[in-house]
Amino acid sequence: MFFVTRTLPTLLAFGFGSVAVAIYYIPHASAQTIESELSLWLRIVYAFAYVLGLYSLLNLHADRIKRRIPGWGYSLVAAISFGVMFLFVAYNDGNGPFAPQSETGGYQWIFTYVHVACSSTIFSVLAFFIASAAYRTFRARSVDAAILLLAAIILMIGRVPIGRAIAEFLPVLSSWLMDVPNLAAKRGILLGVSLGAIATSLRIIFGIERSYLGGGGDE
Amino acid sequence: MERLINIDRRIIFVFIFFGTLVPLLYPTPFPIEPSKEVRSTYEEFERVAKLNDPAVLLSYSYGASTEPEIQPMVVAILRHCFANDIKVVGICLWPEASGLAQPAMEAIAAEYGKTYGEDYAFMGYKPGLQAVIINMGQNFHDAFPKDTRGTPVGEIALTSNINSLTDFDFIFDFASGDSIEYWWIPYGKREVPFAGGCTAVMAPDLYPFLQSGQLKGLLGGLVGAAEYEALIDHPESATAGMSAQSITHLIIIAFILFGNLAYFATRRGA
Repeated sequence: MFFVTRTLPTLLAFGFGSVAVAIYYIPHASAQTIESELSLWLRIVYAFAYVLGLYSLLNLHADRIKRRIPGWGYSLVAAISFGVMFLFVAYNDGNGPFAPQSETGGYQWIFTYVHVACSSTIFSVLAFFIASAAYRTFRARSVDAAILLLAAIILMIGRVPIGRAIAEFLPVLSSWLMDVPNLAAKRGILLGVSLGAIATSLRIIFGIERSYLGGGGDE
Repeated sequence: MERLINIDRRIIFVFIFFGTLVPLLYPTPFPIEPSKEVRSTYEEFERVAKLNDPAVLLSYSYGASTEPEIQPMVVAILRHCFANDIKVVGICLWPEASGLAQPAMEAIAAEYGKTYGEDYAFMGYKPGLQAVIINMGQNFHDAFPKDTRGTPVGEIALTSNINSLTDFDFIFDFASGDSIEYWWIPYGKREVPFAGGCTAVMAPDLYPFLQSGQLKGLLGGLVGAAEYEALIDHPESATAGMSAQSITHLIIIAFILFGNLAYFATRRGA
């Protein structure tokens, strides 16, 4: 059992991990064929992940509804919404579930006038919370905080058309902030994150990091 | 002073609400000067337009929540392509994008009298994120065997001769997630020029790729879309939103300054 749950997955991770890393740098035709095949497998895995995700989502909400956990009404709305969308997708404006998805009909209508509208609204609400959070937290408590505050104000005003109307130099200054200090900081962060990702990947490939197998941490 | 610092958040909400609503109802046109990132994207499409039988790949990697920011970019770039007889192939790397991009492509194509299959084609969504990009780099027909109408890509005039990503003259990704930074740049074909459009909050993360040349241009948020609308001389929803965005930014700055004044006044009093 240990072989199936621990050794075999570790061997697979080592095999596929090292092959995937190697073929990225090998321009030979056979390496590219392997890369193409592996990416096709990866796409199949992604497709199955959707099925798992769907099962997990519905199972979670079904459990909440069954046990009447506070807020179960929202779970009911989620389950009903899924059912309604699924029925419209399967109906496919009268063409059935196996025909290409119709560009008209109930599914497209709900997507455009309910889903898009609701999602955009929720995202837009962020503007209100950002304004409130900025008022409460953006304080020039130290020199560093004051520099950050000044940069934020220049960027906020320099990136919108009214900035140029106020002062010609504001867009130029905001452009410099993005091109120089922002770029330098982002590049540093990116390099750090990438090095961290490489280190973690190597730990997984060589079987040092096994927490993804579940039931335990590093060895 | 303490009361000013702990001002009821609903007062701020009311200011933001009217700061958005009033300019939308009574817009004040501000002159829009395109930034160099947006201008270089525009110039890249202009370069492609001069080629023989040009074709671009538009990759839609956004969802419903970012539709207000990204959709104006989609519309502006489609207008630019169709006005210059650039052929467009659309793919989706996000499932939600299909329902947003396809109607836009159909509507703008109809406006310019373009024919499906000859001037534009829509492949729809395929799961797999970066794996789809790797597949397209090897064999476009394997990655997208059929379009959304169920026609094999080999039978579509526009896509029949496109074997891999290198057959496109330019690739542009509309992103509201990781697609530019973690999918297209590492796994897309470097020999094909690439640019992107993203939400405003994502834009600062992508500047290192602009400097390295991995991104030929960048449209950041609604401002980027408005600047592109100005370049193609077709002001639409992004330009209309600039007054509201400008006023809202001013309100937020005013609140930040006011909050700091109250904070320092409290400290002096203590």
